[in-house]
Amino acid sequence: MRKYLFIALIGLFQMAVSPDAASAQALTEPGVKITGEVTAAQTIHAADLKQFKQVTVIRKDRDGKDHTYSGVKLFDLLLKAGVTLGKDLRGENLTKFALIEASDGYQVIFTLAELDSEFTDRAIILADRVDNQLLPVADGPFRIIVQDEKKPARCIKQVTAIKIAFAK
Amino acid sequence: MLSSWTDDDEVPKGEYKFVYPAYFGNRIQQAEDNPATNAGVYLGRRLFYEARLSANNSLSCGSCHMQEKAFTDGQKLSRGVDGTFSDRNAMALVNLLWARKLFWDGRSASLEGQASVPMINPHEMGQSLSASAKKLQETSYYPQLFKQVYGDEQVTGKRIVMALAQFERTLISANSRYDRYLESVENVENVKNIENSKRIDKIKSIERVNNGDNVDKIIKNANLSAEEMRGMLLFNTAPDPEKGIRGANCAHCHGGPKNYLELFHNNGLDLRSKDAGIALLTGQKTDHGRFKVPTLRNIELTAPYMHDGRFNTLEEVIEHYSEHMEQPESLSAFLQHESNIKGGTSLKLRSNEKKELIAFLKTLTDSTFIADPRFSNPFLTAKTSTK
Ligand code: HEC
Ligand code: HEC
Repeated sequence: MRKYLFIALIGLFQMAVSPDAASAQALTEPGVKITGEVTAAQTIHAADLKQFKQVTVIRKDRDGKDHTYSGVKLFDLLLKAGVTLGKDLRGENLTKFALIEASDGYQVIFTLAELDSEFTDRAIILADRVDNQLLPVADGPFRIIVQDEKKPARCIKQVTAIKIAFAK
Repeated sequence: MLSSWTDDDEVPKGEYKFVYPAYFGNRIQQAEDNPATNAGVYLGRRLFYEARLSANNSLSCGSCHMQEKAFTDGQKLSRGVDGTFSDRNAMALVNLLWARKLFWDGRSASLEGQASVPMINPHEMGQSLSASAKKLQETSYYPQLFKQVYGDEQVTGKRIVMALAQFERTLISANSRYDRYLESVENVENVKNIENSKRIDKIKSIERVNNGDNVDKIIKNANLSAEEMRGMLLFNTAPDPEKGIRGANCAHCHGGPKNYLELFHNNGLDLRSKDAGIALLTGQKTDHGRFKVPTLRNIELTAPYMHDGRFNTLEEVIEHYSEHMEQPESLSAFLQHESNIKGGTSLKLRSNEKKELIAFLKTLTDSTFIADPRFSNPFLTAKTSTK
């Protein structure tokens, strides 16, 4: 409950924050906000991932070594939020994309078709663990892992938001 | 009668055309209900320098955002109408046409929304939008000008911020020596070899974006010195002591042709930042002490540096990254273990490398931007009174 109160408060005072409030800073549980062209906008927290099928992807990171990432398919998460995937991914819905944003403002996009298990076997997951440990602070708590993609640039770290939108 | 407003023709008409290099890209940000017009920009420029927008008629936007300092004020913190100082350092207003998140913590999402913040803040200009609108309405100068922009003489807070935003979007800086470099020497030289009829057009267009300099002068200026080129290489290279690669990797956060990527990071200024930065908005521990990575365009002109203006010179900035980086928990991943020596926690650059980096940073200075009459205070040269 506190969490929601805090969010409401930042909404109200967003334009007038003063750094003096730093000492009084409350902490919120990190989550991934799913918004845009969805029927059920929601924020996913660590515990919520458990209700989805767990998937692992092995891929190299910048250190050049293989790592085992585990989490859930973006496809499953987005289906639950009511994104037009699976049988609904046709017609103009094929011009939709997912804009993923990290806490530092970095953004990447995937087209919905790239995420859809009926289009591709390549897994794109929202991972919360690497080699059976929680992700390191600077990478987590949520990171996108793209199976087999040569460059890691879209394996975006510290994910905070996913917005589904139409290409205009 | 001393009425000031006589000449209708003085206010330009039509849509405002933004001119910028293709390498800046077109991800520009304009509010749908506020497309820039020549008349709107004309009004916005006057409002930007209008001290009546402050409680005691002493401060305008231009007081804290001075053109000759690339729209900063040269102060660590800025003094408002009530004599108190701002919490953070005044930011450069440069290439805002591309900015999606404004302020050191990105809390404002549009220039229209941003502009009212300093106006109504009691520690900055300290006057409500309606009081500002009323003051301007009572002049004989502004109502007629508002009419030319908005169709009637009504002065409103909303119209004031819209015109300010339009003017701010025109503050484009793309004429530094680094820009000459980006356009590339070859590119300019090649035009000398293309077919005659097209050549003239091409040369004209190049000269136009270069404020009328002739092509020979442009080519000469495009050459960066060996020291500047080495600085650029360091700027763009990640250090790897195992492989013997020297680097400073500034580009990870300050890279791209605009030297602005709109990222928010903790760059290790303090073990525990007094100002929590974006954590104040997000409530996340990992966001503590994270601030907007500011543009490095015109950085030579915008001292003092950082959100609290703690560094007076570029030398001090480089010393920070090279020697003194703190290791807070929320230190950017891009700066963790980023060093030219094995196991180092800061860059550990050599003294010649520090000089090279600074030489490169100075190629980002755009001397035409700070002298451009389109951005200057119109009241200093105006013939008309604004009473
Ligand atoms: C008293 C000094 C002062 C005055 C007057 C002032 N500003 Fe600022 N400006 C600042 C400071 C300080 C910041 C950074 C504040 C922060 O991040 O919390 C800033 C930030 C900004 C930014 C954000 C830039 C970016 O890159 O994010 C914009 C835009 C801006 N000011 C425009 C204006 C306009 C328009 C006016 C007039 C209506 C104005 N300022 C008046 C001090 C001032
Ligand atoms: C991890 C991202 C990151 C990297 C890498 C980085 N910076 Fe920064 N830089 C920042 C942030 C964030 C700020 C603002 C910090 C603050 O005020 O709290 C900043 C501020 C600056 C400023 C002051 C800007 C101003 O307007 O006050 C300069 C100059 C600067 N950096 C130069 C460099 C140079 C040179 C390098 C390479 C040696 C570099 N930076 C590497 C993130 C980075």
